[in-house]
Amino acid sequence: MADVSLRNLTKAWGGFTAVRDQSLEIRDGEFMVLLGPSGCGKTTTMRMIAGLEEPTAGDILIGGQRVNDLPPRDRDIAMVFQSYGLYPHMTVEDNIGYPLKLRGIKGAERAAQVRAAAAKVELEPLLHRRPKELSGGQRQRVALARAIVRRPTVFLMDEPLSNLDAKLRVSTRAEIKHLQHELGVTTVYVTHDQIEAMTLAHRVAVMQGGEIRQLDTPEVIYDRPADLFVAGFIGSPPMNLVDGDHADGRFTAAGGFHATTGVARHGGRAVLGVRPEDVTVGPAGSGDLDASIYAVELTGDAVLVTVQAGAARIIAKADRAWRAEIGSTVALRLDASRLHLFDAASTKRLQPE
Amino acid sequence: MNGTRATAARRRKLVMKGLESAILLLALFLILFPIVWMALTAFKRPVDLFELTLLFTPTLDNFRTIFAAPWNIGAALWNSTVVAGLTVLISIPCSTLAAYAFSRFEMRFKGALFFTILATQFIPAVVVVLPFYLLFRDLGLLDTHLALVIVNLAIVTPFAVWMLKGFLDAVPTESEEAALVDGATRLRVILDIVVPMVWPGVLVTAVFCFILTWNEFLFALILTRDNAVTLPVGITRFRTERGDLWELIAAAGILISIPMFLLSSVIQRHFVRGMTGGAVK
Repeated sequence: MADVSLRNLTKAWGGFTAVRDQSLEIRDGEFMVLLGPSGCGKTTTMRMIAGLEEPTAGDILIGGQRVNDLPPRDRDIAMVFQSYGLYPHMTVEDNIGYPLKLRGIKGAERAAQVRAAAAKVELEPLLHRRPKELSGGQRQRVALARAIVRRPTVFLMDEPLSNLDAKLRVSTRAEIKHLQHELGVTTVYVTHDQIEAMTLAHRVAVMQGGEIRQLDTPEVIYDRPADLFVAGFIGSPPMNLVDGDHADGRFTAAGGFHATTGVARHGGRAVLGVRPEDVTVGPAGSGDLDASIYAVELTGDAVLVTVQAGAARIIAKADRAWRAEIGSTVALRLDASRLHLFDAASTKRLQPE
Repeated sequence: MNGTRATAARRRKLVMKGLESAILLLALFLILFPIVWMALTAFKRPVDLFELTLLFTPTLDNFRTIFAAPWNIGAALWNSTVVAGLTVLISIPCSTLAAYAFSRFEMRFKGALFFTILATQFIPAVVVVLPFYLLFRDLGLLDTHLALVIVNLAIVTPFAVWMLKGFLDAVPTESEEAALVDGATRLRVILDIVVPMVWPGVLVTAVFCFILTWNEFLFALILTRDNAVTLPVGITRFRTERGDLWELIAAAGILISIPMFLLSSVIQRHFVRGMTGGAVK
């Protein structure tokens, strides 16, 4: 168990900067998710923690000790790779036992530890198979077992679920969460999937362009996104974002769209954000503004209603029994306590007083 | 109208097919004839040598003769085996490490360095054979296994590095990185993970090097006299003042060819079997 801290970490290749002056404190036992689109520097950050990539500048500390100059084997970490990184010529048992073998743990003791790790991920019946005789989900569990077989101080997981099918992804996600809770090992988890980030993390670092845009708990990141990028990246369907003008606590957009924001001190170009579940549709004339229905999509657990409100298209999440004709007029009611206002120039969040 | 055109097209296709087969057969004949001739000659008595008949009484006398005094081809067989064996045993580990470095690490002038390794082979052997002779004479290594091993290493290693780099480039690096994180040193990674994954490539390269060394003639001719004579040079001894002893040349030729046939069949079996299955994804 240990905390991990990154101090002003930078990684550049030639003219390209993948990670820019990044600082991050990961607490002992914490599940930290690095979330961002591809190319945002999240995997590079993790590879630097692992020692597979050398930082251009800055320091990495594990358990208070600077590890910049230590090879991966001396950092006491375990890593799960996106494509598993199994040893194809070894059996499942030898794959899981390899970290122990390298530490000189022999015979019966090694076999017992391998079996204990395999039991945690339900792999015992497959110990004598080779990786190519396993399904994708089983291979992923071998990689997990190999990571937990010795108790490392830090787990690193690089998009471990991205090669699994949707159903398996959900169950393996729960397994990972359970394992991390049970073992209490500090974990850094890289993903581009915001659902994985929301469900797994104690804290999420949302990254873009090599920088952390927001670092907080999933709740705060969802309820109070720090800027337009985070607001648009987190949530499915994504947050509605409307361009317009803001003055004296009132937001207006082309075509008659308006809302009261509660932000008094800001005036000028702004972007209003509202999540689909914070928009209610009702009979025409009963809400904040009227709009015509552009599309209606039934997802099973809800109905997504896209309406044309002036120049903007807004998605509302309605009850799954809700029905209406395309083209008909409905009223929108925006939950005033859940509106998000962003300055158009700086893209930063404007907090209501 | 349409029908005749179709028939003409079919006829043209048939003629092309026939031509193709004829050319293939001719090529096959050109390749196989010397081998068949050698194989037949090796089992003929001297009196039957110039008879073009396939019906003769086969004999193993030629093989007995070449292994006996004064020819003692057994010594040349041993020399060839030692030289080729040692060359492969030294060259393959060295080339594997070199190829791994070229494949995985970034370094200054990597492209130029890599090209230079192969460029050494652009120099014709006849140009350097005399300097080599003088060098080994001064070192007192003429007519020794060591001299031949050194020369063959210089010939074979550049090729081996190039071949192995090709095989290594095709192996995904994730398993290696997993091993590094699991606690392995770079050398352990190469031994435990990389070599097993490229084993077919290593085997093919080893066989290739063995064949190159086994067939090497020019350096062996110039650098040996009695003690370290290899098979290709040994064969030239059958050209005597009594004339060319074709039946003995053929028997020795069979001896040289046998390992080649065996090794190529080994390669074939391993070449098709991929070892990386299931490593990633």
